[in-house]
Amino acid sequence: MIKLLKIEVKKIFTYKIFWILFGLYFFFLACGILLAEFMINNMVDDMNRHMPIPFPHITIYYFPDIWQNLTFFASIRFVMIFPAIIVMILITNEFTFKTIRQNIINGMSKSEFLASKLQIILIMALLITVVLATGTFIIGVSHSGFNDMAILNKGIPYTIGFFVSILAFLIYAFFLAFMLRNTGLSIAIFTLYSLIIEPIVNGFLRSPFIFKNKIYSYLPVSGAVSVTEYPAIPILKRVTGIELQHGVAFTDCLIPVVYSILMIGIVYWVMSKKDL
Amino acid sequence: MGTVLAIQSLSKQYGKIHAVDNLSFEVLKGQVFGLLGPNGSGKTTTLSILLDLVKPNKGTFTWFDSPPSKESRKRIGSVIESPNFFPYLSAWKNLQIVADIKDLGYNDIDRVLSLTGLYDRRTSRFKTYSFGMKQRLAIASALLGNPDVLILDEPTNGLDPQGIAQVRELIIKVAGSGITIILASHLLDEVQKICSHVVVLNKGQKLFSGKVSEVLAISDSFELSSDNVELLQKTIASYPKFRSCTQNGSLLQVYFNDRVEPAQINLFLSQHGIILTHLSERKRSLEQHFLELLEDKS
Repeated sequence: MIKLLKIEVKKIFTYKIFWILFGLYFFFLACGILLAEFMINNMVDDMNRHMPIPFPHITIYYFPDIWQNLTFFASIRFVMIFPAIIVMILITNEFTFKTIRQNIINGMSKSEFLASKLQIILIMALLITVVLATGTFIIGVSHSGFNDMAILNKGIPYTIGFFVSILAFLIYAFFLAFMLRNTGLSIAIFTLYSLIIEPIVNGFLRSPFIFKNKIYSYLPVSGAVSVTEYPAIPILKRVTGIELQHGVAFTDCLIPVVYSILMIGIVYWVMSKKDL
Repeated sequence: MGTVLAIQSLSKQYGKIHAVDNLSFEVLKGQVFGLLGPNGSGKTTTLSILLDLVKPNKGTFTWFDSPPSKESRKRIGSVIESPNFFPYLSAWKNLQIVADIKDLGYNDIDRVLSLTGLYDRRTSRFKTYSFGMKQRLAIASALLGNPDVLILDEPTNGLDPQGIAQVRELIIKVAGSGITIILASHLLDEVQKICSHVVVLNKGQKLFSGKVSEVLAISDSFELSSDNVELLQKTIASYPKFRSCTQNGSLLQVYFNDRVEPAQINLFLSQHGIILTHLSERKRSLEQHFLELLEDKS
């Protein structure tokens, strides 16, 4: 396993596009997080112009709610698609450069090749989670100070929940990349599906005229997104009437995990059958 | 001598097309084995099956007397079709990845880079290489760690004459060191210059196999002329190795069953009192011979 990781690190270490995209992802993630409160309050100001009793300004950077708020933001599908695109580029590159063939010829087995890609996905997901958790902790401390360990209580479930979301999302990208074997096609279809098709289907499934349950969360992308579905912003409940979550449910995590295992299984099966 | 590779009735179909059709042959240790056939005759498909890239529909094969595995592939150095490397990595880094996969150290990388004349450019990224250099890097990668078998699929394809000469020289040099080589090529000339044994393929089927000197034996013809063509024709017909002759004006086109030296003919005819006014050897082009081989069978 260490050997596979060593090979994988060599493949991406001097790959500029990888680092540029990964850097951009963190940059925009940080920008989004730091500007979120300002932008939300701008909207609140806008609304208040027509309100007899103005809504108060909200704060999102205080413990313990910051955990829920920032993991919510980082698991929006528009944000998570960024590292997913990186994963698809890394995998489909191997087909474009035919280096997967060369790796097999040189004595790698197909399952080792898949394992090496899963390893790098796991590491990316861990890295993103750790950076997010560290950033959240620093922002939280700078706003509300470090009083006692209790501030971490909410942090652990939300961080784990986010890790499950991002890992599942990257595994979906892994699945599509190995199925389609083409960079442009997999990025296009992944984007189309996760940002357009599934939200439309969601809209129907959420409609109170059809279903009142959470059936939409059984879809793969929505399932991953809905682990940390809502921020801890009470005003949202007052405006939209949505019941906000109060924690990360184990059953919510189960849906993306099941999809991930299924997709990894399909990829292993197809790769063992299909010619390279 | 041990068996390096044994193939039993291997078949691969793509739809209705038989890319490889019931192919069987053996490669022994130390042989320089040619896989000869026109484009689309199933050479690359065969090699892809042997390297686990493609699954055969039928048939089995063994490497080093055991079923194929990733461990057997580690003992084989291969160049299949185009050179496949990461364009953004240097030659040096690309070979490190190869060495990692094959469980080799990095101390052999300098040697293979020098051998293929790429040492000075080892830190340049692969995409900055010319096609010839890319091909040579592929060969360097195949030679890494002194594999037991070297598989070369059209190693001189797309190279300029100088590159072709360099690559051939390299292969002959490597073959001299006792390594088993399997060379796929559509160039008869190449196989004849490099290989000791050959399998001739067409449409996925085996046409011939055996020693190159036997399968590709080429009987040349001679053009003869003298003052009395009729006498010449009678006399040459009594030469032991004579096969046939055709008259072409005052010239006789004579074919023999075996290799014949011009001096022998001259001597034979002068002993029979014929003075030649013209004697020239006609070499048939190798490609022409190859086409005849294919035609004979189909």
